[in-house]
Amino acid sequence: MSKLILAVPSKGRLMEQCTEIFTRAGLTLRKIGHARGYRGEIAELPEVEVAFISASEIAAYLKDGRIHLGITGEDLVREQMSDAATRVKLERKLGFGHADVVVAVPACWIDVTTMAELDEVSAAFRREHGRPLRVATKYLNITRQFFTGKGLSNYRVVESLGATEGTPAAGTAELIVDITSTGETLRANGLRILDDGVILKSEANLVSSNVAAWAAETNATRDAILSRLSRGQTSV
Amino acid sequence: MAAETAKAFAALERQAQVLMSAFIAAGHEAVSPAVIQPARYFLDVIGEGLRARTYVFTDPDGDELCLRPDLTVPTCRLHLERDAGAQQPAKYCYNGAAFRFQPQGSDSTHPREFRQAGIENFGDTEREAADAETVALILSALRAAGLQGSQLRIGDLGLFRALLKSVAMPERWRQLLMHRFWRPDAFRAELKRLVSGTGQALDPKRRDFVATLDETDREAAQAQVAAYLDDQGIELTGSRSLAEITESLLWVAADAKAAPLSPETAAMIERYVTVGGPALRVTEDLRTLAKAAGPDMTRAVDTFAERLKLLSATGVDLKTAEFSAEFGRNLEYYTGFVFEVVLPKLGRASPVAGGGRYDRLLKAVGAPRDIAAVGAAVHTERLLAAINGGSGAADNGGRA
Repeated sequence: MSKLILAVPSKGRLMEQCTEIFTRAGLTLRKIGHARGYRGEIAELPEVEVAFISASEIAAYLKDGRIHLGITGEDLVREQMSDAATRVKLERKLGFGHADVVVAVPACWIDVTTMAELDEVSAAFRREHGRPLRVATKYLNITRQFFTGKGLSNYRVVESLGATEGTPAAGTAELIVDITSTGETLRANGLRILDDGVILKSEANLVSSNVAAWAAETNATRDAILSRLSRGQTSV
Repeated sequence: MAAETAKAFAALERQAQVLMSAFIAAGHEAVSPAVIQPARYFLDVIGEGLRARTYVFTDPDGDELCLRPDLTVPTCRLHLERDAGAQQPAKYCYNGAAFRFQPQGSDSTHPREFRQAGIENFGDTEREAADAETVALILSALRAAGLQGSQLRIGDLGLFRALLKSVAMPERWRQLLMHRFWRPDAFRAELKRLVSGTGQALDPKRRDFVATLDETDREAAQAQVAAYLDDQGIELTGSRSLAEITESLLWVAADAKAAPLSPETAAMIERYVTVGGPALRVTEDLRTLAKAAGPDMTRAVDTFAERLKLLSATGVDLKTAEFSAEFGRNLEYYTGFVFEVVLPKLGRASPVAGGGRYDRLLKAVGAPRDIAAVGAAVHTERLLAAINGGSGAADNGGRA
């Protein structure tokens, strides 16, 4: 009998929220062995094998089909797969882990409120400084896709793996693409979101991999998890 | 992606020899530019969007490099290495691998690794004659390789530039429209904004502030902006100076005060974009448009007609050639004439050859000034597939 592999974030608030959502669905998500281990199970569904891994690795595993189902942010799915629609299916939004991926510029750029104005300024900036505007972000692919769609070409992406919102003040970038939930951190760093600069309203999703090995049993197990979760969510 | 077979290798080599012989016989020097190129040349010319289609990587020294996505920029760099001032005209040809990421997966008409055979002609200021010569040489090389039944598609970005120059509007709006021409949706939105008056799009608070700016006195305007920021409790941060921000607000102010673009002019620009059809017939449509537009457009149409005559004179059969005003809209580095050779069975998304004029490219990669340049390349795998009866050539989903 082939088991369905479900990956769940391995730590922090995301892991707790996953456990809660399964509990509401009447499913007991628990670790096997000691508390710092990475393997788990769902007590009510013995045909499921649970793997506790980091949210960004979950996206990578879904892409390769090494797991059947995983809980991860839509932002990570979009960032890691240029062909997300063929590789995975976003089965269900889970109502937590909310984060908007946004374009933010220094608040003092009162001449820039839209992507079109950013486009105009990008040409002037290049003439003045002899180099393109730098956009600091960890979302390299999402940024490029969005900017290309808005017709911008006069910019350079600079990879930033932490404290991205500090890069404009530090002088290592002119603007950023980052996640925000309340906008507070952005404001505290003197940044403002462009009017049409919300790229993606992301939240945690239950995602299935289209390229994993699916069989009749794993299909049935997936449907059982989905129907339990939907009952759990509507009863809230 | 399938490993290459010895059979395909031998056939491609034979075909390349035929193409290269034709190019060399026409006076092009065979060169072999480097496969690995500094990424910045491509990023500067094509922009950050290039990364989405290019294999960019960082070497152990931390330098950002790429596998060449085409051979035109590498050939420009090779030319400037030999002749930094680009003083002498030069004609080159090449046959070598180019690499492009295929977001929808690679297949036989869209391989991620393919060989381009092509020509470049730098510094020839008899532009229309050089354009015609380029098309004629590519077509005769394709024929020598065994291709039949191809169709020529042409476009001319010089016509659009001339049209904008002909009609009354602030110079900055011309630059904006030219810049947006490459993205049809953004272009249409920009035209609409210019017709309805650019001030309409601003939020009222900002519009009122911008209207108070003193455009005759830069320093006074800067002081106004500084006071406005202060008033809003906004700190000046980042690498753009108060002067830069003020300058850009003054443009916004000037745009808002300028008379909106007339709907007639906007309609004429929209009409131009839809011009298309058999190349020989389209000249008349363009002349009608030029009468309404003005002398700059008339001169550009004359140039277009002259090039057609030269194409005919070099033996290019124009009976089936098609013109489209929109053609070339996705290839930002071209500046004038553009062309593609297509086959009905491969479709327009998979031309077997293409090229055009790019008079600004050499300067963008380091020449001291703009240099006249025209070139073209053959997609050799597609050509071979087309000649051999097109294995796997039919299933292209509108990809370039």
